[in-house]
Amino acid sequence: MGLTTALLALAGASYVALPAGTLDSVLARDTDRKPTRIAAFALRETPVTRAEFKRFVDAHPPWQPGRVPTVFAGAGYLLQGLDDTAAPVTGVSWFAAQAYCESEGARLPTWYEWEYAAAADATRTDARQDPAWRARILGWYARPANGPLPVVGGDANVYGVRDLHGLVWEWVDDFNALLVNADSRSAADPDRLKFCGAGAIDLQDRQNYAVLMRVALLSSLGAADSTGTLGFRCAREVTR
Amino acid sequence: MKRRLLLGSLALALASSAPTPALALPGDSIYQLDATLTDQRGQPVRLDAARGQPVLVSMFYTSCQFVCPMLIDAARDTEAALTEAQRRRVKVLLISFDPTRDTPDKLAAMARQRGLDASQWTLARTDAATVRKIAALLKFQYRALPDGEFNHSAELILLDAEGRIAARTANLAGADERLVGAVRRQLAVGQR
Amino acid sequence: MLRRLLQLTAITTATLLPFTSHAAPELPVIQAQLTSPPLVPPPTGRKAPAKVVVELEVIEKDMPISEGVSYTFWTFGGTVPGSFIRVRQGDTVEFHLKNHPTSKMPHNIDLHGVTGPGGGAASSFTAPGHASQFTFKALNEGLYVYHCATAPVGMHVANGMYGLILVEPPEGLPKVDHEFYVMQGDFYTTGKYREKGQQPFDMEKAIAEQPTYVLFNGAEGALTGDRALTAKTGQTVRMFVGNGGPNLVSSFHVIGAIFDNVRFEGGSLAQKNVQTTLIPAGGAAIVDFKTRVPGSYVLVDHSIFRAFNKGALAILKVDGPEDKSIYSGKEVDSVYLGDRAAPNLNAVTTATTAAAAGTLTPKDQIAAGQQLFAGTCSVCHQANGAGLPGVFPPLAKSDWLGQDARRAIGVVLNGLSGKVKVNGKDYDSVMPPMNQLNDDEVANILTYVLNSWGNAGGSISADEVKQQRTKKPAATTQAAH
Repeated sequence: MGLTTALLALAGASYVALPAGTLDSVLARDTDRKPTRIAAFALRETPVTRAEFKRFVDAHPPWQPGRVPTVFAGAGYLLQGLDDTAAPVTGVSWFAAQAYCESEGARLPTWYEWEYAAAADATRTDARQDPAWRARILGWYARPANGPLPVVGGDANVYGVRDLHGLVWEWVDDFNALLVNADSRSAADPDRLKFCGAGAIDLQDRQNYAVLMRVALLSSLGAADSTGTLGFRCAREVTR
Repeated sequence: MKRRLLLGSLALALASSAPTPALALPGDSIYQLDATLTDQRGQPVRLDAARGQPVLVSMFYTSCQFVCPMLIDAARDTEAALTEAQRRRVKVLLISFDPTRDTPDKLAAMARQRGLDASQWTLARTDAATVRKIAALLKFQYRALPDGEFNHSAELILLDAEGRIAARTANLAGADERLVGAVRRQLAVGQR
Repeated sequence: MLRRLLQLTAITTATLLPFTSHAAPELPVIQAQLTSPPLVPPPTGRKAPAKVVVELEVIEKDMPISEGVSYTFWTFGGTVPGSFIRVRQGDTVEFHLKNHPTSKMPHNIDLHGVTGPGGGAASSFTAPGHASQFTFKALNEGLYVYHCATAPVGMHVANGMYGLILVEPPEGLPKVDHEFYVMQGDFYTTGKYREKGQQPFDMEKAIAEQPTYVLFNGAEGALTGDRALTAKTGQTVRMFVGNGGPNLVSSFHVIGAIFDNVRFEGGSLAQKNVQTTLIPAGGAAIVDFKTRVPGSYVLVDHSIFRAFNKGALAILKVDGPEDKSIYSGKEVDSVYLGDRAAPNLNAVTTATTAAAAGTLTPKDQIAAGQQLFAGTCSVCHQANGAGLPGVFPPLAKSDWLGQDARRAIGVVLNGLSGKVKVNGKDYDSVMPPMNQLNDDEVANILTYVLNSWGNAGGSISADEVKQQRTKKPAATTQAAH
């Protein structure tokens, strides 16, 4: 555990520092398909819990259900309730997640930052080519969301981050940058007028179904929406 | 009439402990976002500055070669379909996704180049986090590309006098009849 | 003031709707009646187009796929296949797709009967806890598949997200007594066929196109036992048969029935007198036939290992009176000696047929007996009945037979051991019982013997043999020939 991580831990929530690196993202960065550069950043070790979000809502009344404007949080907001447990909070909209992160001097991670952290397993920074790893993750997505969620604190990956897989979907800052065609089968034939610029994103790695499903879920949502299996964690800049 | 409205809003504000700055704003209004932008004159302008009037809003960036010029033309054509009196009561707000490069000077240059009158057209920029929030409210998608271009959806959106999304169109080839009709209806509502 | 208020309300409502409705104002609005498989909604019975409102909900749920094996299915309307939708050509369909809040995944729908981008998929992408609406006109009649088209598409389809929509021709389909909804699908689990417990989806097997289960209506036994389809004899049956895939093509066949008509691929042309019809993955067919005789008619995919080793089997149980002129049931069970007897056994067949018809003559018996004698009796008693001196007694001109022919029946049935004197010579050997011969065969052989090699003649009937048999049941040891 580096000095940066230790300092971040003092701030309350536990953040883990991730080093700068490159990532062959599933979302093509550009038509030249070069890997994406990720600057060093810090990521919360676990998703935000129900207990933590409850404290936030108690301290920030405008974010209570019934008081928050519908443009920031719609009908499903906190439908699963809040309590003092360490289960991940769900039923939070993108705006609510942003507000929480801002309250602790942080922000939501970008898609690339999230994907970069999530590519790792316990021993490798990039386990995505391992069919066994992919099958395990796909297995979670295939099971329906029944019953209450378990508490956070699963096994850590090689960076020390936990629960990126198998617990909840997570918001990212640029969820509305996932410019995929609503009908994913047309991706190879982008409607150029619909998305000025490069057209709809072509997904590079169509074998990585877990990521495809994540992109599908995030691109199906609006910023005021929430679901029973969608939570979040925060990210911070790393200053040296 | 306006005074009655103002008194009414104040009464409502006092009655509830509604969060500031959304005094009696409807819950689905984008003006719920407390944001201050900078316009092409370098002046601060609040997001809800045009509250009380219908507004045509969209997002763009000055270096955009392809669709953004069409966006401006579509907004102009929509206005051209209105009468002179109607046109004066509609504002156009264009917000940049590229705050790093779209300085007020750049915005002003664009306004000059396209002949956009500041009394009606506001070209604005703000910090990246607020841009992301505005895009989320307007349901705009955008993505920065490494060469400085952006990949983004292209729509013209009509906000009503209270900042709710009343209509939107992705048809930028000239004025969209339906959008023009929606503008006229909003203006008719305003006539008391 | 009131007028202004009303105007205000009207204008506000109109402005809040982003686009005006596409339906012509005179169309009657009907709520579609959806059914769960294997039921089909009744014919629309309409003569003119209508606006039909369809509300379909997506639910992700665990259900049994086989006994003791459960699977997480993603369903339209809570079933696999999903609810059956029935509209008429020319209808305007207002489609509402709802995704239950407990769903983990977003879903959409592509209906093959829709003319438009993605078949509706582009306009129906729905997050959990949301609903989407889009409208389309049913331009073409036919039977069409619908399925989810969210990435990864193969997985959504493999998890059961498919169903059928019927667009009736304007004049409707001809009336039948029964309509059934059957849909085949292939399923991929990490465990083996019938391996118990909760089985997850296996992407590798799906890509390799190696299914674990191939099923009608989403589960083994979905249409068997007390869930079998039922009909009576003399009824017309129509089946709307779909194939959701995701991978396999179906060779659809109903054992014991011939399809009078097949609207192959769900289109407008019909082929007649079809035994097995191909249904493409993502395709459908309409088959109809008339039930005539009772029984269990098994629906299979005739790629037959799928039926018996992967579960592609369903039953239509038909009850009613038999009709022997169409199907008799088993008439004769006779021994067929194959290559053990003389190459030509025509006479045996003739005798068997004659016996069944009640027209058996001694001549038939002798001819049959002669063929049966060879290879069975001739081994010991020789083809000319001479026997083997000192070992096997002769049958030719036998005084022993001449004294009492009928006791030969007992010898053939029960064997004979101990001293016998035939034609002045003593024999003390063991003849084993001929258990492999039935009554007809014993009678025919003995009749032949009695009429050969200078014996006195006469005949033995199968009934006499039968009576002897009941008097003294034969031993169970088999003759070793």
